[in-house]
Amino acid sequence: MVLRGSLLLWIAGWMVAAFLWAPLVPVLGETTRVLYFHIPVAWVTVFALAWSMVHSLLYLRRRNMEHDHHAMAAAEIGLLFCVAATVSGSLWAKAMWGSYWNWDPRETSIFFLLLVYAAYLALRGAIDQDERRARLSAVYSATAFVAVPFLMFVVPRIYFTLHPDPLINPRGKIDMDPRIRVVFFALLAGFTALYFWILSVRVRVARLERRSQEA
Amino acid sequence: MPSDGLNSRAAVWAILRKECRSEWRTRYGLNASLLFALTSLTGVSFAVGRLSDRTDILSALLWIVLLFSALASLSHTFVREVEGRTLTLLRLVASPTAIGLGKLLFNLLFLLVIEVVTVPLFLTLMAAPGPRWPAFLGVLGAGSVALAAAATVVGAIISQTRGRGALFAGAAFPVLLPVLAAAVSGTRAQWSGGAVGPELRLLCAYAVALLAASLLLYDHLWED
Amino acid sequence: MSAVAVALEGKDVQHRYGARVGLRAVSFNLTAPGVVAIRGANGAGKSTLLRILAGLLRPSHGTTDFRVSGEAISPPSRPRWVGYAGPELAFYPEFSAAENLQFAAETRGLADPDASVRTALERVGLQSRASDQVAALSSGMLQRLALAFALLHDPPVLLLDEPGSHLDEEGKAGFEDLVARERGRRLVVIATNEEREWSLAERWIELQGRGLGDPA
Repeated sequence: MVLRGSLLLWIAGWMVAAFLWAPLVPVLGETTRVLYFHIPVAWVTVFALAWSMVHSLLYLRRRNMEHDHHAMAAAEIGLLFCVAATVSGSLWAKAMWGSYWNWDPRETSIFFLLLVYAAYLALRGAIDQDERRARLSAVYSATAFVAVPFLMFVVPRIYFTLHPDPLINPRGKIDMDPRIRVVFFALLAGFTALYFWILSVRVRVARLERRSQEA
Repeated sequence: MPSDGLNSRAAVWAILRKECRSEWRTRYGLNASLLFALTSLTGVSFAVGRLSDRTDILSALLWIVLLFSALASLSHTFVREVEGRTLTLLRLVASPTAIGLGKLLFNLLFLLVIEVVTVPLFLTLMAAPGPRWPAFLGVLGAGSVALAAAATVVGAIISQTRGRGALFAGAAFPVLLPVLAAAVSGTRAQWSGGAVGPELRLLCAYAVALLAASLLLYDHLWED
Repeated sequence: MSAVAVALEGKDVQHRYGARVGLRAVSFNLTAPGVVAIRGANGAGKSTLLRILAGLLRPSHGTTDFRVSGEAISPPSRPRWVGYAGPELAFYPEFSAAENLQFAAETRGLADPDASVRTALERVGLQSRASDQVAALSSGMLQRLALAFALLHDPPVLLLDEPGSHLDEEGKAGFEDLVARERGRRLVVIATNEEREWSLAERWIELQGRGLGDPA
């Protein structure tokens, strides 16, 4: 109870600091503030995907339903964070470069993740039996695991050469000012902790649902 | 007593032969798929017209037609087994890996048949410039193998769910996207005189990765 | 063919279909040769148990141990050693009876597929209908085809789920002859509620369970 409250205070506090205390990045201007939300959220998206895929593989190995709960919960949360990352990124792009969507490498990557999440959850929704759902979604997850490195790193490079856009990626310049760095990492930690909190709740719900079915 | 185990080349070939014979006897699968490919091709050609100078768009359109044809056709081998309830028989005579490989080879053959009809028609209808055949066929071949590998394993998954065509397309698309990107880029490169080496390598690497993963995964696909 | 030493042991094997109990915990120890009958109310799990023994279904709890000549056989490899015939076994309608068996024989890698197919068809009395399309066969004929399929690769264990269903009097008598011939060479496991088939066995497994749709 105390932990949850302090986590929310932590995030809220550092968000305020992001507006009042941390300086602006010259290139970004006022849009600097977005990076404190957008990048941690995007990071959690990728982290959640990795968590989900690892637990899928563990399920195939060990056949323990706990792994399936984690795989499902991480995917659900990951999807939410992915939508948040996509939208915040799009708004940032609009503010920075004047258009909502450009298919630049980063935007393309996050969109692909959205597709993978959506496909995984759609697949789960189409299977009624618990064991079969766990097993087949794990197999799909393992297949997507092969695709993700290609989707995230290789394809955007190809798209970049297909649609060359002299857009500067501002990421490199950010971690210069110590105050920015502090706020950024504080919020990175905060959002990651938020992910784990929601994950633990969702996993517990799934576990209880299964136990009540088996009783 | 059986001389080989369930895991054998004999099983893969026997399954491939069975699929071919079955397709030949019923033929509605191939007819429907060819019709679909030709319909999408006609639609594209009608809407866009001749495109001799825009090889970038040509590449994209070619692979979109092929992708859609694959999505419309390549899940059928498994769906037919499930709907005909013959999956039990298949599982009793062959290992899951042999089943997967046999179906993969069939899907590849199926795709190649569609391409033999569709690709020349595409090149003609769209008034495409003459391709550099070795490079063009190389990208086509590598892309087809990757397409078939992805579509077969995803098809095997989807055939056991409530969802069918739409879910197959939705689930296969993320896995097929790298193929689409690399194949379009490679096809464009061979028309604009560039090198197709990088894209070809990527397609081959992806196909190999998918094959390796699916060979490990087929064992988990049918357990009930 | 001399009898192969086969041992089939189950410890607390049970299976759930989601919330529903498909098979309550059952333990057993069977050895070849001989005839075993499994009985239970509808929904008690006879078919489920046979499918688990055949390696077609992974049970949600419990373990099965299948040994041939002392060597343990994992579930994915069991279909090679087991001849299974059950109601959900369907054949390819676009092929003939013989072609279906031929496909099975070739895929299994049998040394002489043609001979195996001929022998199997003769054993069940289907030789005259061998080249008929499966789609044209009656349910009784299909049942015989299923038995032929189970015998095709000469397995040491036969798992037969309601083998007498759809069979006419001649078919049932033929089946009893078959069991009489095989009981000294193979382990024959029959899941049935038919008194006639039940009495063919020397050992029996009675499954507990209260019927279909029972939420445990």
